[in-house]
Amino acid sequence: MRTIRRLVMAGAAVTLVAAVAACSGGSSGSAIGSGNGNGSPTGTKEKGGTVTMAWIAAAPNFIFPLSPATNSDGYNANLTQPMWPNLVYNGDGGASAVNPQESLYSSMTWGNDDKTISITLKPWKWSDGTPITSRDFAFSYNLLKANYQNWIDYLPGLFPTDVTSVSTPTPHTVVIDLDRSYNPDFYTEDVLGFVPLLPQHAWDKTSASGTVGNYDETAAGAKAVYAFLQKEGGDMATFTTNPLWKVVDGPWKLASFSTSGDYSYVPNQNYSGPDKPTLAKWINAEYTTDTAQLDALRAGGSLDVGTLPLNDVQQVAVLKSEGYSVASQPLPGVAAITPNLYNAQAGPMLRQLYVRQAMEYLINRKQIVSKVYAGYADPGNGPVPVQAFGQWASPLEKSGGPYPYDPAKAVSLLTAHGWKVVPGGTSTCQRPGTGASDCGAGIAAGHPLSFQLLYSSGQAAMDEQEAAIQSSEEQGGINITLKSEPFNTLVGVFGVCTASSHPASTCGWQLVDEGYIPFNLYPAGSSLFNTGGLNNNGGYSNPEEDSLINATEYGSSAQAFDQYEDYTAEQLPWLWLPLQSNVWVYKSNLAGFAPLNPISGGLNPEVWYYTK
Amino acid sequence: MTGYLLRRAGQSVAVVIGLMIVTFIMIHLVPGSAARSVLGVRATPGRIAIFDSTYGLNEPLYRQFLTYLDQVVHGNFGTSYLLQEPVSTLIAQRVPKDLVLVGISTALALAIALPMGIYQAVRRDRLDDHLLTGASFTLYSMPDFFFAIVLIAIFSVQLHVFPPEAPSATSLGGILADPRALVLPVVTLALVTLASYSRYMRSSAIEVLAQDYIRVVRAKGVPERLVLSRHVLRNAALPVVTMVGLSFPNIIAGAVIAEEVFNYPGMGLLMYQASTSHDFPILLGCTLVIGVATVVGSLAADISYAILDPRVHYGRG
Repeated sequence: MRTIRRLVMAGAAVTLVAAVAACSGGSSGSAIGSGNGNGSPTGTKEKGGTVTMAWIAAAPNFIFPLSPATNSDGYNANLTQPMWPNLVYNGDGGASAVNPQESLYSSMTWGNDDKTISITLKPWKWSDGTPITSRDFAFSYNLLKANYQNWIDYLPGLFPTDVTSVSTPTPHTVVIDLDRSYNPDFYTEDVLGFVPLLPQHAWDKTSASGTVGNYDETAAGAKAVYAFLQKEGGDMATFTTNPLWKVVDGPWKLASFSTSGDYSYVPNQNYSGPDKPTLAKWINAEYTTDTAQLDALRAGGSLDVGTLPLNDVQQVAVLKSEGYSVASQPLPGVAAITPNLYNAQAGPMLRQLYVRQAMEYLINRKQIVSKVYAGYADPGNGPVPVQAFGQWASPLEKSGGPYPYDPAKAVSLLTAHGWKVVPGGTSTCQRPGTGASDCGAGIAAGHPLSFQLLYSSGQAAMDEQEAAIQSSEEQGGINITLKSEPFNTLVGVFGVCTASSHPASTCGWQLVDEGYIPFNLYPAGSSLFNTGGLNNNGGYSNPEEDSLINATEYGSSAQAFDQYEDYTAEQLPWLWLPLQSNVWVYKSNLAGFAPLNPISGGLNPEVWYYTK
Repeated sequence: MTGYLLRRAGQSVAVVIGLMIVTFIMIHLVPGSAARSVLGVRATPGRIAIFDSTYGLNEPLYRQFLTYLDQVVHGNFGTSYLLQEPVSTLIAQRVPKDLVLVGISTALALAIALPMGIYQAVRRDRLDDHLLTGASFTLYSMPDFFFAIVLIAIFSVQLHVFPPEAPSATSLGGILADPRALVLPVVTLALVTLASYSRYMRSSAIEVLAQDYIRVVRAKGVPERLVLSRHVLRNAALPVVTMVGLSFPNIIAGAVIAEEVFNYPGMGLLMYQASTSHDFPILLGCTLVIGVATVVGSLAADISYAILDPRVHYGRG
């Protein structure tokens, strides 16, 4: 993972999926086959019907698939993905894999030492009957090349600035030359998985009344086109009437849109893909809170799909009696406590690996999963969630990770490094110094082993989790003071802090649990754990870690990922925590709903149908 | 009267401008930055710079305020950082919702509280007065979200009589077209305000009932029904009128819970969400609208005084 893209809520899975690896790429190239991963439901398929699906505070506000840099509404992808899917469609049924059915290419071949990609597009058509061609990819590329700084999904150094040339030798072939070698898995899934194809024949214009041309072929023209499309893309009153947005290549067309956040789709009758929608309508209904949505589910009638807050899991029996089924969905991300390694007070202790190891040994993750999350959580054994990314999780992580709950080992580690351990109290350093059995550099005699843990307020599960951590850390005499802040206050004080950059206003924190960090399809650690990484808030810096991360992003060794993963799990740049799953509730006669796509904004409702 | 109204209008403008200045300064004193709040903890410096430049946040504070003032004078409240919509549009969508919810619930509360307060005053210290006092205190001391949840549990989940959601339409007509969906949120808010109004009314009516002019009216043989409706109600209602006129901000704030529970996004929820995400344009816009409404409410209360109490005259020095 290069960095964090737009956060998108997605669907659920009936079972905790051990996702099957279906990775594209590799130096030899690969052709993708067929077969959507969404289950094989039983029952007689009923044509038509409407699904009303609840979303919690998830109103989109922008329809042009390339959102401006200042628009961070992650739910825009939910709105656009069903109409303009990306070239590489991430998430195949319940598997964290490329979806061969929905992706717009039929083959992708890497060559020239993994610096050149040859893509063959499927012979699909836009909804107005015009063929989808390589010109449409070039159009997307030209717009982004001229406007990448005003694209919310732009990642420094990556697409399109790492592209040296794009050529279109045939109407269905695109050749991309890159300025360096990349790991094909990384680039295919995490980079091209965010690039849509845009209808050049309809959108290459600079005003509503202007004619379509090849404006994108010059930088000035591309800027003008982009500005026009972004202006139109933000005009919510015209989302359903603007002719621009009627040309789609996904399975759905927008039927209605309300600025309050409600919107609906009808099938794109000219969709070229194999999974043509069976439903007649798909309504997305906005709810202010999960409580309001749960009340609507319990009252019966209006909702077909919704989510269930984990603190309401006991409502499952009631909902089942109302005709609903329940499905859980492991989230593709990593949950952790970030240690501020260069904080003046806590940094010297947190920089000691043995201290972090002792702290991790004292986190009873299994108990948190069962008691706090009612079993609906990934165990959090390391940097890769084993449930959402079964194909990437290493044997070490699958077996429980390097630091299973073990208070005795924690006490032993601390004692061996010169601490007077006071279970239930606060341990203190007895042997200052830098020797192998001393407390470590910068830790004075009598220094207390205590930290403040900052976390986002407003969620009962987070309160319970932090209280559990506080309690279990006490067994090693590690004193944790809890402080919760509203998320928007927390982000104001939770800066990226390194040894050389430590502004007091954003680096006063010691430990932070900010929730979870979502991964893209390729769950590597770039930007999270590498030196100077954009999201490396704690300032972790380790040349070996950097080298292993680079190998996952730029190399092509099959072992590189496991090596990175195990090393990171052991080195504890962050303290690993369980990651809660989504729990979905859906009408029992809605087939094909689960398992749902955990990655993409598209929930694949094109494969849903009611049964008689 | 005209002179009085003009003076009050002038004062109102000064009050609203003062309110804007204070609000503007206070929200910019909140720790953290709007850019980081909107773009997230991992926003790059480059993206933060684009954000600040787009919204003029890189300008000195006084210049930002003057720009905002200029925009407001021209009817532009700015664009929400988070929702990416003009603030005037957002407010226009939500005001009808609040007008309906707050208006109907306040009217319902007054319709019950005024006669109830007089009834209690007349029946002072008797069993029914004690029962109603107990009921008022019970309602007053219970949080509105509790009412909302209980009402939903009984009337939506168990009995399926009323829907658990308020109308989702944004227009006045659309909202009123679904009266069943309005019942629970209106009753929730009315119950909360009813308790305080009735207590004020009871106290005020007890005071009025002890006045000499009431004794005179009764001595003249005026029927008790007319005594209460013509003389007690008008005079005793004066403090409640003042209270209603000034309570608009509180009702909006109090409506947040009802808006959340009943999935009815109005001004209260809009302001709350903006306050937790540094969405300054929304905060300023809503503050301005509520400030104006409060000033107008206060003015309306004063005018109502003159109508309810002939002894009150404005504009005579």
